[in-house]
Amino acid sequence: MSLILPLLPLLAVAGGAIVVLLLDAFWRRPSKNHLAFATLAFLAAAAAAAVRLWDAGAEAFDGALRLDRPALLFTLILILAASFTVLLAMRWMAQQNAAFGEFYGLLLLSLSGLLIMVSTRDLLVVFLGLEVFSVSAYALTGLKRNDERSEEAAAKYFLIGSFAAAFMVFGLAMLFGAAGSFDIGILLGSGNAAGLPAFTLVGLGLVITGLAFKIALVPFHMWQPDVYQGAPTPVSGYFVVAPKTAGFLVLLRLVLPIGRGSSGGDAIHYFLYAVAALTMLVGNLGALRQKNLKRMFAYSSIAHAGYVLIAVLALDARGLAFYLASYLFLGIGAFAALAAMSRPDREFGELDDFAGIGFRYPWIGSIFSIVLLAMAGFPPLSGFLAKFYVFSAAVRAGLTPLVFIGVLTSLISVAYYLRVIGTMYMREPEQPVDIDVENPAVLLVLFLCLYGILQLGVFPGNILQVIRQAMAGLF
Amino acid sequence: MNMPLLSVLIFVPLAGAVLLIFLPRDRKDILYGVAGAASLAALGASFLLFTRFNGASADLQFVERVSWLGGGIQYHVGVDGISLMLILLTTLLLPIAIFSSWSSVKDRIKEYLFFMLLLETGILGVFCSINVFLFYVFWEAMLIPMYFLIGIWGGRRRVYATTKFVLVTMFGSLLMLVAIFVLAAQYQKASGTASFNLFDFYGMSLPPQLQLWLFLAFALAFAIKVPMVPLHTWLPDAHVEAPTAGSVILAAILLKMGAYGFLRFALPLFPDAVQKLLPALAALSIIGIIYGGLMALVQKDIKSLVAYSSVSHMGLIMLAIFALNVESVEGAVFQMLNHGLSTGMLFLMVGVLYERAHTRTIADFGGLSKVMPVFAAFFLVAILSSLGLPGLNGFIGEFLCFYGIFAAHSVWAILAVSTVILAAAYLLWMYQRVMHGPLVQDKIVTFPDMNAREIALVVPIVILMVWMGLFPRTFLKKMDATVTHYIQAIKGQEKMFIMKTEGAGNDPRKDSGALGRCFYTQPSTAEAVPQTRFGAPSAAPSAVSAR
Repeated sequence: MSLILPLLPLLAVAGGAIVVLLLDAFWRRPSKNHLAFATLAFLAAAAAAAVRLWDAGAEAFDGALRLDRPALLFTLILILAASFTVLLAMRWMAQQNAAFGEFYGLLLLSLSGLLIMVSTRDLLVVFLGLEVFSVSAYALTGLKRNDERSEEAAAKYFLIGSFAAAFMVFGLAMLFGAAGSFDIGILLGSGNAAGLPAFTLVGLGLVITGLAFKIALVPFHMWQPDVYQGAPTPVSGYFVVAPKTAGFLVLLRLVLPIGRGSSGGDAIHYFLYAVAALTMLVGNLGALRQKNLKRMFAYSSIAHAGYVLIAVLALDARGLAFYLASYLFLGIGAFAALAAMSRPDREFGELDDFAGIGFRYPWIGSIFSIVLLAMAGFPPLSGFLAKFYVFSAAVRAGLTPLVFIGVLTSLISVAYYLRVIGTMYMREPEQPVDIDVENPAVLLVLFLCLYGILQLGVFPGNILQVIRQAMAGLF
Repeated sequence: MNMPLLSVLIFVPLAGAVLLIFLPRDRKDILYGVAGAASLAALGASFLLFTRFNGASADLQFVERVSWLGGGIQYHVGVDGISLMLILLTTLLLPIAIFSSWSSVKDRIKEYLFFMLLLETGILGVFCSINVFLFYVFWEAMLIPMYFLIGIWGGRRRVYATTKFVLVTMFGSLLMLVAIFVLAAQYQKASGTASFNLFDFYGMSLPPQLQLWLFLAFALAFAIKVPMVPLHTWLPDAHVEAPTAGSVILAAILLKMGAYGFLRFALPLFPDAVQKLLPALAALSIIGIIYGGLMALVQKDIKSLVAYSSVSHMGLIMLAIFALNVESVEGAVFQMLNHGLSTGMLFLMVGVLYERAHTRTIADFGGLSKVMPVFAAFFLVAILSSLGLPGLNGFIGEFLCFYGIFAAHSVWAILAVSTVILAAAYLLWMYQRVMHGPLVQDKIVTFPDMNAREIALVVPIVILMVWMGLFPRTFLKKMDATVTHYIQAIKGQEKMFIMKTEGAGNDPRKDSGALGRCFYTQPSTAEAVPQTRFGAPSAAPSAVSAR
């Protein structure tokens, strides 16, 4: 039992993946809803197991898997993201002629990879998790088999992803050569980077670069807009949230023990400094130019990654967790609105399609507007508080120039988010679009996101406390 | 006295807005009934506030303080003599603005009223907040309803105007946000505890160079809002495109938030920097007075004429604030009320005219006074109030302003007096062209005069104008103590800085300066109220108890 218990969340997800795949093979029905419900049940079981482990924490495989509190917190965030994705996909996939049973299995499999990533301090295991995620992610991207764009996106994602994996493996080899271990604690010693051999530094740089590819930090972001635009909309929502959430925890775990003050630590610090500035600028300026909303949100998710990177630089674990928790509702909420903007065999993603939507579909319009306003950082919504915590920690850490770039680029972001709201409420459509409003699951997701945004923005007390409790275990 | 009056005041409109969501959208009467009731309830609350406010005390009153997010972020509200006036103005004008839309806003009434009430909550929150974080939340949140009000119900170029309004305003306030972060970080470094309490920040002594930067960030945000030349370019666009009620609120209330910000934040927080930059700020104000007046003189559109007159009038208010003596600051606050009433009424009148003529171009009118005598009379009252006729409110305010400015710098006063001459010129000339002369268009004859609803909307304003002109003490006595204390504190602070040696003392409380000392003496009742009311003691130990 003591071996099984720590593995329960992971087992529920990975085992669930296999069960759902088999279920699809042996119990074929045209509607795949039974698979969706099975998936949700497995996700709920995994979440329950994670909550159960909260107080004690757990280890397995000689410490290769460590379910400490940060790991469990991020596990819960990731499970929530996956559950939302399932709800979004239920009707949408059928509507878009992409009702493939393997979707749910792949989703669970990719989630299990991310869960592995967040619950370890061993870089080789991180890599293992990342690859489990990536391989299923390539397949998920290409799931709309009758859509060329989806296929192209999958191919592109696969190529770039393999490239990034190569970076990481090379870096890992160097790290192992230098220290004889993959454990972050052993690799980076007791926070004294002065003693780090050059080998280790180069290895770290390569590993961070590989990670940066996966979480799409500039200049390693090129693939992202194409992939997110091409992937099925619910999957894109999952992609903007889940892999970044997991990747940033890994990045924080890497950067925390290095600290500053030594030449090695400073080199990594300034490297990430430049990357953060570039990411915010390129993400926001890129989004400003987009006419397609899926692409716009792809760029905006790059921009948000830049803000999270500030939290990494400020070594602000709580701010990072709060930002990612808030971004869960924002990212999923945005793509839920996009998923709602569809009817059989047709999706509406161009800016012009949104003209007049606000008054034609008041609930979708108003919740989407609130999501957009929260992304732009208007108080009293969660996006504001997230940025507030990150920026104020950054000022305390002496990163004021970066905060300047941060606020000025958020001003740019206000321009493109407001453009969408303006289109929805202040423009008459040339040709009003008719969308399929009979999608209760998507509406449910929208309302849950609305709830999350308001709860985190106005009364985040309990969640802040959980985050504080969890992230204290990171040191 | 245990009712949390300020919270009721702030959140009654919000409650009304939430209620509106669930009402049927085609029942105009019910929608207006709820919105009107919510805004009138807020008016009633603010009237209670006014009568119960102790004018002899300079302290914050009606203080409520509840811990909110931790880390020094509290729900902390209170009023003094200055914010009291602006709250009164807000709650008075909101119901008027709401009911002025009865016939001019034809569709999407539910959303319209929803945003109006949301806006009221935002504005009242700004004027009540003592916690800087809370202030910022309201300050930014208020932009959202305004964005929609202009963008949905505005004129032809509304989307451009409203986007410009939001982006320009946010540019300033985001830089202010950075300055707030720096302030909070400095405070934490110096005292070891986290706080966003404005009065804690007052007590800090910051290095002059840092003060300068922080002041510039705050001043930029507020100067955009006022607006001070050359940051005023968003204003004519927003005003001309906004619906009538939007213009009324924009001119009468939102602009005051900038001046209020200077009074409450920028000046007392950074006395050193103010001392250095005062001439430049005064110069900008004077430029604003003259430039706004000259621009108003050449406008072809009545609405943009009134908009530019606001630039000019706000210039005078800012100059009076920068003169920093009791008379000038009292005059400035009083003049804020006057400007709110007179400009608000002018925009209402323009709205009345626009509903009939569907044009606001001066050249399209002429001889209106024969067709619409009641309208002509009320319009004249608004104009006379605006240009400061003795016996009406504008005169008292301008007199106090000039008196104070003259005492500070006679040259400033001489230049500033041009506002009176210019105002007389552009307002009366406009009145003459619109109201007198031959009828230029045949259809003017068909215009009905003001109806009972429209008259009922402006009558309270006119009564107040006369009242304030004849019995200004009603209002002045409520703010005497606050302003006197304020000026003493600021002057004391300046002296402190002249005598202070560089880098003396890092503990903000030890070297808190006169302003900090004075402001720290909050009444014990104010502290007791939240505790008895909410049971829980406030999260961070306040500076009061530390002394």
